[in-house]
Amino acid sequence: MKKNLITILILVFPGCLYCQEKILSGEILNIAEELASDENDQETVNLYLEQLYELRENTVKINSSDETELSRLFFLTAFQIRSLADHITHKGPLESVYEIPLITGFDRAVAEIMAPFIDFSHTFQNDRNRMRCLHTLLANFMISPGENDTTLAGSSFRLLTKYKFTTGRFSGGFTSDKDKGEKMFDFISGNLAFTGSGMVRKIIAGDFSFRSGQGIHINTGIRTGLSLTSAGYMAVRNEIKPYTSAGENNFFRGVAAQMAYKKAGMIIFLSHNNLDATLTANDDSSQYTVTSFQETGIHSTSSELNKKDAVSETVLGASLTYRFRSLNGGITYSGSMFSLPLLPEKSDPEKVFDFDGKTNHILSAHYNSLLNRLLLSGEISVSNFEDIAMVQGITLRPCDRLTLNMLLRNYSPGYTAFHATSPGSSSSGRNEQGILGNFRFEAARHLFISAGCDLSRYPWLRYRTSFPSVAKRMELRFSYNPSENLAADMAFSYRYAMLDEDGGPGMAGIYESENKIFRARISYRISPNLALLTRFDHKMVQPAGDRGMLFLQDITVTLRSVPVSIWFRYCLFSTDSWESRLYAYENDLLYSFSIPALSGKGSVSCLMMKWKFMRRAEMRIKYSVRSVMKDADYFSEKDELKMQMRIWF
Amino acid sequence: MYSLQRIIVSLVVFFSFSAAFCDNPFLIKGGPGEAGMGSVCIMHSGFWSSFSNQALLALNDSWSAGFNYQSRFNIQELGTTTAAAVFPAGNSSVGLIFSHFGYSEFRRSMTGAACGLQLTESIAAGLQIDYFFENFSADYDSYHSVTFEAGLFFRPSERVSAAIHVFNPVPASLRNTMMPSTLRAGAGIQLGSTIFAGAEAEMSTGEKLILKSGLEYGVSENLWLRGGFSSEFTSFSFGLGYMLRWLRIDLSFVTHERLGISSAASLVFKIK
Repeated sequence: MKKNLITILILVFPGCLYCQEKILSGEILNIAEELASDENDQETVNLYLEQLYELRENTVKINSSDETELSRLFFLTAFQIRSLADHITHKGPLESVYEIPLITGFDRAVAEIMAPFIDFSHTFQNDRNRMRCLHTLLANFMISPGENDTTLAGSSFRLLTKYKFTTGRFSGGFTSDKDKGEKMFDFISGNLAFTGSGMVRKIIAGDFSFRSGQGIHINTGIRTGLSLTSAGYMAVRNEIKPYTSAGENNFFRGVAAQMAYKKAGMIIFLSHNNLDATLTANDDSSQYTVTSFQETGIHSTSSELNKKDAVSETVLGASLTYRFRSLNGGITYSGSMFSLPLLPEKSDPEKVFDFDGKTNHILSAHYNSLLNRLLLSGEISVSNFEDIAMVQGITLRPCDRLTLNMLLRNYSPGYTAFHATSPGSSSSGRNEQGILGNFRFEAARHLFISAGCDLSRYPWLRYRTSFPSVAKRMELRFSYNPSENLAADMAFSYRYAMLDEDGGPGMAGIYESENKIFRARISYRISPNLALLTRFDHKMVQPAGDRGMLFLQDITVTLRSVPVSIWFRYCLFSTDSWESRLYAYENDLLYSFSIPALSGKGSVSCLMMKWKFMRRAEMRIKYSVRSVMKDADYFSEKDELKMQMRIWF
Repeated sequence: MYSLQRIIVSLVVFFSFSAAFCDNPFLIKGGPGEAGMGSVCIMHSGFWSSFSNQALLALNDSWSAGFNYQSRFNIQELGTTTAAAVFPAGNSSVGLIFSHFGYSEFRRSMTGAACGLQLTESIAAGLQIDYFFENFSADYDSYHSVTFEAGLFFRPSERVSAAIHVFNPVPASLRNTMMPSTLRAGAGIQLGSTIFAGAEAEMSTGEKLILKSGLEYGVSENLWLRGGFSSEFTSFSFGLGYMLRWLRIDLSFVTHERLGISSAASLVFKIK
């Protein structure tokens, strides 16, 4: 079957040579790859890309001048959102993406990032259109034809289904996901939402996500400050949103309401949800306790199925905000109650500060203030009236060509917030002190320089590090965008971390790991229908001295005669070890992503076709093969076939 | 013979020159004209480079045929003989190539049929089907294999040219023997009317990335001098070309940091 598929794809490709797909900017893809390389936090990249897909599908109405609508572009800073809203209010609607760099606080690079996610339609539609019921149905089917694992509980394919409707102020939908090896309908999520413009702004029944302040207390969405050199570190938001992701753990299930009266705002919510966890019985099996949560969302083996929905969590909370002249402030309270007590293995020194008990109360306060060219924001949170986490950020824009950010954070080892996603380098939002600074400078016309440095200190032990440790991250990036058809960027990044040294029994030694990565990427649109991207990565790992290299070529083509676009990638990689592995984002189906870790010596070939038909349907097919050299004459190969059908009416 | 080679090398090493030589032994990397420029060839039009990037075939405007002999390190057993012909037909051109490498104990020959097509004024694309035959001494089997290579050439501006080329982008499971794949991308610029400078990146399966750069200087209407550098084996190259009325002669010399010099010579006849 594989041979036939490949033969068909090879025969089909040379015949079609033209394409026009909105290409995600290099910066967006860099962030995705950076997130994917963090083995401890795979959920973030999922959320990040899902949010981008959602934005791509449900684009932001940029001419609405509504800051809430504009803030859906989560990578923009508060400065940029305010500046954009002011520009539209005072100078009228924008007509094209080329106008964006002319707005204070924006440049061509930012406009390029925004381009796939915005539309310029005027917001006021007639009532007939607004009341019309719009339905969108999407189904993704994914299978690895060469794999046949009989030990799994269910079939080997993955199936994701999403349905959404909107009619006037009401919207709703459901998501169903079956991962590889799981039984059908392993995860089902749904919601109904009402959006109002009066005192009641939003009501959601079903699954929802909630974010308050900087996210150190509650943030079930994407975390602030994804990339070391990105500007959007200071986002302070209070919002509830319908949950449409396929992630199976970090969301709320219940009812939430958002209200506003003059300058005051309030969000209240109640949630009851089941979580996957590892349970341990006491000596006489009369009492079970939770030793750890399982966050992968995979239930394909009997042990994983035993952990499914093992414990329930009830959360209630409220958030109050008030807007003064240039100051926004708020307080948030949440209480989590578990059906079984949490009792981690305290004999493990790493877990000494881990939460134990059944109830966790968190109280936090946050603010942000925009004073001319200075933005201050911060949040302080206390869990169970014992352990504190705080974050303080400053953004300064001394001139239009320069933006400076600084972020100070201090999360105590015992601080516990089960639904937090804090800014900074750590995904857990605890046991970390750090300072981060970055700048972005328009050095010359079309030439941007950005750099960032993050110094972290972990006062207590953490995963694979049996001692208090420090970590450093640095990045320097040059971007050159001389025209809308050409973009080039080069980046050098450095990572330092302290880890346990592999060795015999006894106290672990210190292994100081250093990674240096150089990346160069150039994308060029030759014609409206044909775009190319060439990229080269080089990684060096010390002290092992291992190297990794990657060279890839993308071609994106839109056929002229039929509404079909084709994306082709050929990538060669060569790495000395797993430590020197590299990551390369691949175009994929909507709500599915692929950022494989490329290790060893081999190649990746991908072909994806998108076909829009009957004005109400779209089909995508992707086939990819990854070959890795095992010895001089033998390759191990893994192929994957993905199909997607999307219908809207 | 050896002393003659030393004299030549002594002369050319002053100018810096080189020889990147095929990391991927199945891949044809042009003739002496390209070897003299550090094998920077996929974006620089010419007779032999048309078989390094088939998109360049479309830029040929006359019927031509050529012969090329490459001597690696002056070892007869490592010599490669190549013959090729190009037939232009409007916006497209067809090319045929035959190459033979080896000696009585091991031979590898390649036959290729290529087509290049001018898609727009500034874009050309090309495809070549390759057939390889490898013959060992009597006790071993012979191998046959078929693959393809494809290239794209475009001009972002009047003076700048760029190209990409991929060789054998076929999953290994489709063949019985190992054949490395190669990916190349490069760009060049015409500086004034006499100088062309280019740079190219190349990577083959399981190998490190190679960076190459080269320069061609038109001394007069009929004479070209070339120099280049390749990061692979830190090699320098030098070459020259001379055009008679219907005959073009090219020579190249490529250094290897350990193994010495490789040289090549070619004759290209413009028939029509």
